Amino acid sequence: MEILLKGRPIVPGEARGLALVSSKPLSFLGGVDAKTGVIIERGHDLYGVGVKDKILCFPHGRGSTVGSYVLYALAKNGVAPRAIVNSLADPVVVVGAVIANIPMVDYIDISMIKTGDLIEVDGGKGLVRICRK
Amino acid sequence: MYLTKDEERIYDGEYGWAKQVSIRILVKLGDLYGADRLIPIESAHISGVAYRTIGDASIEFLKELANSNAKAAVRATTNPSSIDTMNQLFSCLPRNVIEKQREIINLYETMGIEITLTCTPYYIRRPAFGSHLSWAESSAVIYANSLLNAWTNREGGPSALASALVGKTPNYGLHKPENRRASVLVKVEAPLKSEADYGVLGMYLGEVLGNRIPVISGLRRRDEMCLKQLGAAMATSGMASMFYLDENYVGERSFEEEISVDDKSLKASYERLSSTIEKPDLVLIGCPHSSPEELKIIARYLEGKRVRDDVKLWVCASKYVRRNADEYVRVIETSGGHVICDTCAVVTWLRELGVETLVSNSAKTVHYAPLLSKVGASLSSLEECVKIACGK
Repeated sequence: MEILLKGRPIVPGEARGLALVSSKPLSFLGGVDAKTGVIIERGHDLYGVGVKDKILCFPHGRGSTVGSYVLYALAKNGVAPRAIVNSLADPVVVVGAVIANIPMVDYIDISMIKTGDLIEVDGGKGLVRICRK
Repeated sequence: MYLTKDEERIYDGEYGWAKQVSIRILVKLGDLYGADRLIPIESAHISGVAYRTIGDASIEFLKELANSNAKAAVRATTNPSSIDTMNQLFSCLPRNVIEKQREIINLYETMGIEITLTCTPYYIRRPAFGSHLSWAESSAVIYANSLLNAWTNREGGPSALASALVGKTPNYGLHKPENRRASVLVKVEAPLKSEADYGVLGMYLGEVLGNRIPVISGLRRRDEMCLKQLGAAMATSGMASMFYLDENYVGERSFEEEISVDDKSLKASYERLSSTIEKPDLVLIGCPHSSPEELKIIARYLEGKRVRDDVKLWVCASKYVRRNADEYVRVIETSGGHVICDTCAVVTWLRELGVETLVSNSAKTVHYAPLLSKVGASLSSLEECVKIACGK
């Protein structure tokens, strides 16, 4: 079964990987370890989970604008997500995705996606394809 | 979004990676907020300088920019760092931390950005009336829009830096006259005495306003010190970027809401904000950084007094203001206080500097210090602060 979701293109690029889905907004500054890519915000539903090579799906970012730099550092350190899917993009994550060159799409109903789904993202067209067996 | 021929060339990378990634940031943000084009700015003010706040992650990006010959296209200034390198108080901090802070500052300097290290760049050079800016630092943003009639959105560190390198900002939000109309009338009924009371009013308003612009009536004091505290606090507890004083508002007076602020609401706000502290380790004045006029007032309170041995008194200001207020600096330091430059209580390592409790006349500091440094914090007027520092 395949589900095609149409959103808004934010950062171009294509990516394929397993979804990591959170229903909670994410602060990259203080929320994600830039060296390991592990989510370190206590009380977050993805606490202790690594974002490396995942298609990271969450409603939107929050917190300090320095969070953009954390996304860049994740990419530099080879532990960034392959793509970002948001319900509504916010400036912190958008700027982070631009400078880290991570494909990104928003206006997507995140609740359609489950952690572990195989996902294809086309950031240039704003498409998210869920491929389930 | 419309781009000129030259902007398109930047976008396509003809002027190098640094400008390209910068304009991409601006265009993406512009798309997100419905900007029609980029507009030139008079200056940029960049946050994300304090190592304490930005950590190692940002150094990578700054390095990459500096290595690809990034240069500021307009005047650009920097927010405070984590350390006053000229003051012995900070020499107890770990060496690697001091090194990292120096590295960050050097990277900005390489990019042609002025190392002002202050949250009040408007005391160094006042933006022209009606100019467009790209400023980060929420207290400076609300000050510029409300008291200087210089127009800026509330930028973050990366977008202000991108604007500095391109010399432009996307035309949306507070850059457009139609978005600078007030939609709420605030009637202040509570009697406000000190600048600390204005901070409490600001904390209250920030929460109830969201990002709506108010016209504020009923303020008895309108001196700069009080209005600066009001704005800084509004931007601390909410997304506020602008307010009008009643007599200055010439726009249409059709408000979607009227809010009356009485003593009771402010009392509740104060109690949420401020803890009771018997004897603080630190008395902190100068958040946002002091003006020359404030240094004068503080010096007048301190004249002939002596700061207690078991309390530190910090008066934070920019190097520039310090240099131009010799006479007051001397009074403050003779009394045992420190005029601290380049940093403040919010962005340094308070606990490592031996501070577990503080009293300040700044609602912003009293809000952030417990969150960021896990210290106890209490709000008092400047006059009270000096009394606490010197013993009654």
